[in-house]
Amino acid sequence: MAAIEVDNLQRRFGDEVYAVQGIDLQVDEGEIYAFLGPNGAGKTTTVRMLTTLLRPSGGTARVAGHDVVHEASDVRRAIGVALQEAALDPLMTGRELMRLSAVLHGIRGQESRDRAEDLLERVGLLGAADRRIGTYSGGMRRRLDLGTALVHEPRVLFLDEPTTGLDPVSRASIWDEVRRLNDEGTTVFLTTQYLEEAHQLAERVGIIAGGVMAAEGTPKALKAEVGVPRLEVAIARGDIARAEEVLGRHGELLPTRAGTVQITLPGGAAEVAGIVRALDEAGLPVESLDVVQPTLDDVFVVKTGRSLEGAGEAAPA
Amino acid sequence: MTQSIAVTGALMRRALNEVVRVPGAAVPGVVAPTIFLLGLTAAFGKLTEVRGFGGEDYISFLAPVTLLQCAGFTGAATGVNLARDIEQGWFDRLLVAPTPRVVLLGGVVLSAALRVLLPLGFLLTMGFAFGLNFPGVDGMLLVLILVPAYAVVAACWGASIALRFRTQAAGPLIQSVMFMFILFTASYAPLALLAPWLEAVARVNPVNQVIEGLRSGFVAEVSWHETWPALLTVLGMGLFFGALALRGVRRTGQ
Amino acid sequence: MTAAVVALARRSIRQTFRRPQFIAPILLMPTLFLAVNTGGADSAQTLPGFPDVDGFLDFELAGAMMQASMLAGITGGIALAIDIEMGFIDRLLAAPVPRPAIVLGRLGATGAMGVLLSAWFLALGFVFGASVHAGVAGVLLIAVLVPLAALAFGTVGTALALWAGRASVVQSVFPLVFVVVFMSSAFFPRELLSEPANSIADYNPMSFIAEAVRDPIIGSITATETLKGLLGIAIVGAIGTALSSLALRHRLRAT
Repeated sequence: MAAIEVDNLQRRFGDEVYAVQGIDLQVDEGEIYAFLGPNGAGKTTTVRMLTTLLRPSGGTARVAGHDVVHEASDVRRAIGVALQEAALDPLMTGRELMRLSAVLHGIRGQESRDRAEDLLERVGLLGAADRRIGTYSGGMRRRLDLGTALVHEPRVLFLDEPTTGLDPVSRASIWDEVRRLNDEGTTVFLTTQYLEEAHQLAERVGIIAGGVMAAEGTPKALKAEVGVPRLEVAIARGDIARAEEVLGRHGELLPTRAGTVQITLPGGAAEVAGIVRALDEAGLPVESLDVVQPTLDDVFVVKTGRSLEGAGEAAPA
Repeated sequence: MTQSIAVTGALMRRALNEVVRVPGAAVPGVVAPTIFLLGLTAAFGKLTEVRGFGGEDYISFLAPVTLLQCAGFTGAATGVNLARDIEQGWFDRLLVAPTPRVVLLGGVVLSAALRVLLPLGFLLTMGFAFGLNFPGVDGMLLVLILVPAYAVVAACWGASIALRFRTQAAGPLIQSVMFMFILFTASYAPLALLAPWLEAVARVNPVNQVIEGLRSGFVAEVSWHETWPALLTVLGMGLFFGALALRGVRRTGQ
Repeated sequence: MTAAVVALARRSIRQTFRRPQFIAPILLMPTLFLAVNTGGADSAQTLPGFPDVDGFLDFELAGAMMQASMLAGITGGIALAIDIEMGFIDRLLAAPVPRPAIVLGRLGATGAMGVLLSAWFLALGFVFGASVHAGVAGVLLIAVLVPLAALAFGTVGTALALWAGRASVVQSVFPLVFVVVFMSSAFFPRELLSEPANSIADYNPMSFIAEAVRDPIIGSITATETLKGLLGIAIVGAIGTALSSLALRHRLRAT
């Protein structure tokens, strides 16, 4: 059974603003699905519809087998949600919030206390559990938010931009936790504007822009759709034109940039050894050599006509 | 049922945090009704010398108004806090839980009944120190029923506005309507001594029944004749504003 | 300096008028109070010693304006405290903006509110049957005194903001506005107040200002009352300005 099934989902605000203009997608159970797009693309609106916070203007959506409009309570029982704003009450302690989340999901008494302790330990906040949330760092808040979303062991976890604004270490820790959850069988639907996050975590990626689905598929397949790897060669000394002639015999020549010659590399890295030999025989010593794969940003550019905002801020691996 | 009680209790406990953990923030709400009681008594106390007033001491005449102000301020603050929670995304956290909407709302508005006890206690303490008549055991019982109940009424009103406008900027609307309900009554003087327009408004204002019911113990004796309209009024207003608020929370996201 | 003050004043005015939660307490609450006071204490006119007035509204108008002026001053302080919390003041301090301009600009909005509220309450009074016995001269005097009072109270709000640096702290002062107003002759004649309000009112600058504003409404303009009103404004303004200077110096040393 699909964990999430969306058919022509739409959301209109007023008469003129179509935040989501009819998207279709399906997420299988146990999958990590990344919903990629710039600010204002419709990612958060889509998540809010799937988590029953917003009523669709049209189309249908089913989460964990339940309709988001007509079986909203059943949907809520099956999902965990960590929203973009990570709204946390600064006056509560981490332990209090975790227990409140447990109570809200029908877990009471000693079981709620035990579950809270387990999750606080899992997200690395046991030591800070009795401190007020107002004193937590951004990374701690996100981890707490993630923990509260897991208190009832949801089948489907929605993460809305889970690492926006976090430092690289905190980001990596969230990624590790997401992978661990997925290994345990949880389906994860995450929205992100970070290419690297989608690349690192997702088995499949959906690209949304302007409220419509621009593309969907595995990262590898999407990248293959839009291009092949290229080879960038900087020659230490010698004739650039001569280098272009030699390299042009091994692949399609691309525009030379700042003394770096580029060719397409349909055969991938396997061709590199032969190319280096050819350059050497031609008396053209190599200063640097890079095999560059197409990125999701390249996919985004091809599919939407513009680059993803913040693509330059891609997170470290 | 036990699940609903557990959630309601948890939300009420959370609502008390602001009072308990940021005491400075609670002071204005606690102190303001007492300032009104003592200040209005100092300013308008000589009204009791007007023919037809009835000879009561002014602080005892005025006390029910400021008791309801305790309830009104507390309830309005509950609504403003809900508006803040909605604006900042906290309320979404509650909405994605499988808890029925009516229980979520109940936890929020019932917290006002608890929170009002602090300004109420302060007001009565200061009032008695400055000459307020003790209303008798039955009068005090009536205070302890009507004031928290009215706080819940005010919270339902505040919640309905918060859910409609979803912003703290709606705070003045919440507060001013509560203000009018409480003060556009026989608040400063008996009905017959009010300006004609205010007398007309007070006669149709349901809260006037509540004030007269509360006042009976402070200026005379508690009587069933004045008590049952007050109880019925609070019940009726609670049902009305409660229904509005429930409609608001059920329509969230549409 | 003038350009900076004007620019910051424009910003403050825009900010104030775009936030209903700022305007409402200044206009709405005093208006409601005016209605309740007028309707509820109307019979006070029959008390021995009550001034000869055409209607209780004529007497109460000054009190409403004073209450609103004071709230405008505190609200200006809240807005300044928000600017401090958000870091906007730090940006100004790091720029070549003359220090006094930072405060004067904010007071510009308070002064503008003072003009608005004097016009509002005068118009309201006329609509509901009040009259200014001193005629046009009286109206003009009120239109000068009320904004000046708002500015004076604004200096107090500014001082609070600069000391506390937090809007919630300045906001918590709101109930004290009512203490000052109740302990004066803003709402009721001094002679008919109960103790301790009676004694406090004799020394409360709010009494002097309220009586100066009331004078032309219920009677004629008298130099004594007008000068006392200006004195009251000067006292409040002087205290507020002195405290603001100290607070600004303290803040600059601390940051």
